[in-house]
Amino acid sequence: MSWDDKLIKQAKKIVKIYPQKRSALGPLLHLAQSKDGYISDDSVSVISELVGITEVQVKSVSTFYSMYKQEPTGKYLLSVCKSISCEINNSNSIIDVVKDFTGLSNNETDEEGLFTFEAVECIGACGGAPAIQVNYETVEGLSTENTLNLCEWLKNETPDLVVADELQNKFGGTKSFDWAISDNSGTTGSVPGFQTLNTTKDKK
Amino acid sequence: MSDNVKINVNGLQIESEPNKLLIEACEDSGIHIPRFCWHKRLDPVGMCRMCLVEVETPRGKMLVPSCTTEVSDEMVVDTESEIVKKAQEGVLEFLLINHPLDCPICDKAGECPLQDQTMAYGPGESRFVEEKRHFEKPIPISEIILLDRERCILCARCTRFSDEISGDPLIEFIQRGNKTEVNTFPNEPFKSYFSGNTVQICPVGALTSTSYRFKARPWDLKSTRSTCNGCSMGCSIELNSSQNKMLRILGVDNEHTNQGWLCDRGRYNFEYLNSDQRIKAPLKKTEGNREETTLQDVYSDLSKIIEDRSNKITFLLGSNLTNEEFTSFNEFSNKLGNNDNSIYLNEDILFKGFFDENIENAKIEDLNKSDAIIIWAEDLKETLPVLYLRVRQAVKNGVKLVVFGHTNSTLADISDVYFGGETVSNNFEIVKDISKLKEIKEHIKDKNVTAILGKASPNQSDQSLEKLFSYLKDNSNLKLLNAFNGGNSFGAFQTLGSVKGNREFSSEISKETTDLLFVVGADPVGKSIFSSNIKNIIDEIPTVVALDLFIHETSELADYIVPTSSTLGEKEGTFTNIEFRTSRIDKLIPSPGQALSDWEFISGLSNFCKFEGMSESLKDLNNKSFDSFALDTKPTFDNLDKPRNLDGIINTSVPNINTTDESIEFSDSFYVGKKLYGDKVTERHSKSISLLGSSQFIEGSESTFEKYKLNSGKCILVQENIEITVSYKINPSLPDSLIFFPKNRRNMNKLDFSKNIQILPSHSMEVLNVN
Ligand code: SF4
Ligand code: SF4
Ligand code: FES
Ligand code: FES
Repeated sequence: MSWDDKLIKQAKKIVKIYPQKRSALGPLLHLAQSKDGYISDDSVSVISELVGITEVQVKSVSTFYSMYKQEPTGKYLLSVCKSISCEINNSNSIIDVVKDFTGLSNNETDEEGLFTFEAVECIGACGGAPAIQVNYETVEGLSTENTLNLCEWLKNETPDLVVADELQNKFGGTKSFDWAISDNSGTTGSVPGFQTLNTTKDKK
Repeated sequence: MSDNVKINVNGLQIESEPNKLLIEACEDSGIHIPRFCWHKRLDPVGMCRMCLVEVETPRGKMLVPSCTTEVSDEMVVDTESEIVKKAQEGVLEFLLINHPLDCPICDKAGECPLQDQTMAYGPGESRFVEEKRHFEKPIPISEIILLDRERCILCARCTRFSDEISGDPLIEFIQRGNKTEVNTFPNEPFKSYFSGNTVQICPVGALTSTSYRFKARPWDLKSTRSTCNGCSMGCSIELNSSQNKMLRILGVDNEHTNQGWLCDRGRYNFEYLNSDQRIKAPLKKTEGNREETTLQDVYSDLSKIIEDRSNKITFLLGSNLTNEEFTSFNEFSNKLGNNDNSIYLNEDILFKGFFDENIENAKIEDLNKSDAIIIWAEDLKETLPVLYLRVRQAVKNGVKLVVFGHTNSTLADISDVYFGGETVSNNFEIVKDISKLKEIKEHIKDKNVTAILGKASPNQSDQSLEKLFSYLKDNSNLKLLNAFNGGNSFGAFQTLGSVKGNREFSSEISKETTDLLFVVGADPVGKSIFSSNIKNIIDEIPTVVALDLFIHETSELADYIVPTSSTLGEKEGTFTNIEFRTSRIDKLIPSPGQALSDWEFISGLSNFCKFEGMSESLKDLNNKSFDSFALDTKPTFDNLDKPRNLDGIINTSVPNINTTDESIEFSDSFYVGKKLYGDKVTERHSKSISLLGSSQFIEGSESTFEKYKLNSGKCILVQENIEITVSYKINPSLPDSLIFFPKNRRNMNKLDFSKNIQILPSHSMEVLNVN
């Protein structure tokens, strides 16, 4: 097994939460992704043992959902919304800014492993369109300028933890409503922030 | 039935059982609804939308998939309206968008549901001018199955089969949407004993077998229905040939037995029929050389021996003969004045079983109807594969499963109770008081129980099984399947005057008791655990005649070899399966050269000896085989050919097993069994199977192998002057110190399991041969 003892222990803890082992599949895939930035075949084998289904069944689930990445993602996963509300509000130019800055086209990762860019369907922030997510932390009411600032800031500061509220204050514009959970503590990689998965840290 | 529901389909009133799927209810009344994903034996998924029909609802007419909609009383359905037609056209247009339409080079063309339904329901013209989706064509997903992902219409039949039915989901949908494909996990091929079924049920040419690929066009095939004689399950099959060559075997949906499925051995182990190694003319050994001779010459030589009444004649018959052939040998042996005692069946595990008037024989379908199934027998997955599927099916339907170790560990995962090393000793004795095992009691006490009982290994004692049997009999409403797995062994039990096995043969027969031995379709020297004994016996008997398809380790010792027809497609007759269901064996292709049926040989020989009162035709033999049966359960050809009897006729008249019933002594820590794929001569000459049954190995638990200090993946088995290098496989469900030897793999017949076998670590990776 290619997972270290600590990770296995954590995985077993997750498996125990569910009455049926295979229900733990989703969270374990997130765990795998938080380890490598994508779901490696090695991880698939480990998970298949842990939940008692075949490897190809795990692979089937992991390739079905777009949030489980099949290739390594950069430190920051930039997901710009391309759906209708955002599009009306000029998301095309936001997409262009991100593309120009990073030099990436859709679903690509740069060589340094810093950024991955993707244009995605509605991220539930229509009221504050156009919107972007950095490692699934949402920023609303973007302008092209602020988008560029956001990208530059990420590149220069390379924070380990990104938190929606902070990003919103620095780079966001009009916000639809206060949707964030009150104690949102941010994420540390291309996995939504889950305490159990260690993809979030306590806010300092 | 009184609680049937009435529905109206296309203006016709039809009746159906409640809770039936609409598509099935219509089908039963002769109204065909096109479909791709729905399959009678699989759970419905509604993947393809080809089965859309209009149903009246409180909100007006609606299009619903008839494969996921259950009938309800007074439902009004239209399967042919304009809207339905439009929907069907639309669905087909979508399916064809990415379909390569390479019908001219596709094996499925001519019997392809996509092709046929496009003709019948399709738009007629394509509007699609864009580039189609491309995949590498075709990729091997196992040694015998190929996958062309471009042709796949994503119906999920194959993936559902492997998940729901065979329980080895090694293929699945990968990716999503337009990119979806069926595939395996990298380096984890679709190694399933049942993989051929997916090829048969794939509604397009996406899955093909290496065996049949590019061999024929379906409209050129001749076909007939027959019965597989690979094991005593007796699956119903369709034989396909072209230009007098057998090309393919398909499963036929026989509700009572295989329900359409086959194991891959039954499906692909016909390829030997076309082998150029088949014996084509009688051979005679003179001064150690084998030379071709004529049948008349063989008859004349043998008749001289037979006419001398002081000569004693013995028969060792393989269990793959037809009932009529068993009868023919029986008749012949009686004619010789042998009083039933001279016929032996080539089976290692033969004991008297559990048959008498007071024991109710189970039918296979009883598995589904009982409260619990109890299994203690050889590994069902390896020896009665489709029965294994039926057990899985019953468990899926909620029947409880209790399994006794150590052979059926593949069922441990789905069993409610598995009795391993704490309850069952390494020589297959139950070491606890059965009546005190509450795990079993709760499942059987006063319940309907179907037991599948047989010796797990030749060294299991009769008493040990009997203990379980009498406990079950006293405490439950018991029905029982005796798990003898050799081909037509149940037919032999019923048609032979008396049946004994290899064990009795090797202790009773010698040159004192036999002057002339017939070995018919049997290779005990190659594949029996009594191999060396039997070889010595054959060596010393003055005249030995082998009737066989090939020269193998036994037939090569014979003085005469007569080429015979195979039970698979080369002769007619009947076959009796594990539930005493007798069905037809049919002929489709000619036998090679001068090969003839075993009964024809015996008939010819009797004529030559001027014996009188012998059956003269196959029909006579067929009638004679079932002489004692009541008229309506007589599986005569005439009866079997009646439409209602196509699936076979059951008659459980009590069989004649006459074994000595002593257990065989093995060294404590060994047991032997068959693997599904071995290297029998027919398997060696079937290309698909020969790829699968060649590895040599032993199995045991990790701790067992640690004791032997094995670590390189290989070990050497040493006994006297024999050394065999094999690999060892970890089987975690085996108890400590118990080692499994697959007896139908190469060289295993060289070992004597009653004596010690040393197991030494091997550092070399090459396979050494027997010294
Ligand atoms: S390979 Fe055949 S059976 Fe499997 S999903 Fe594709 S079309 Fe259906
Ligand atoms: S299960 Fe037995 S009878 Fe059925 S196909 Fe396999 S070998 Fe033949
Ligand atoms: S459309 Fe962009 S967030 Fe909903
Ligand atoms: S047959 Fe009903 S959806 Fe495919």
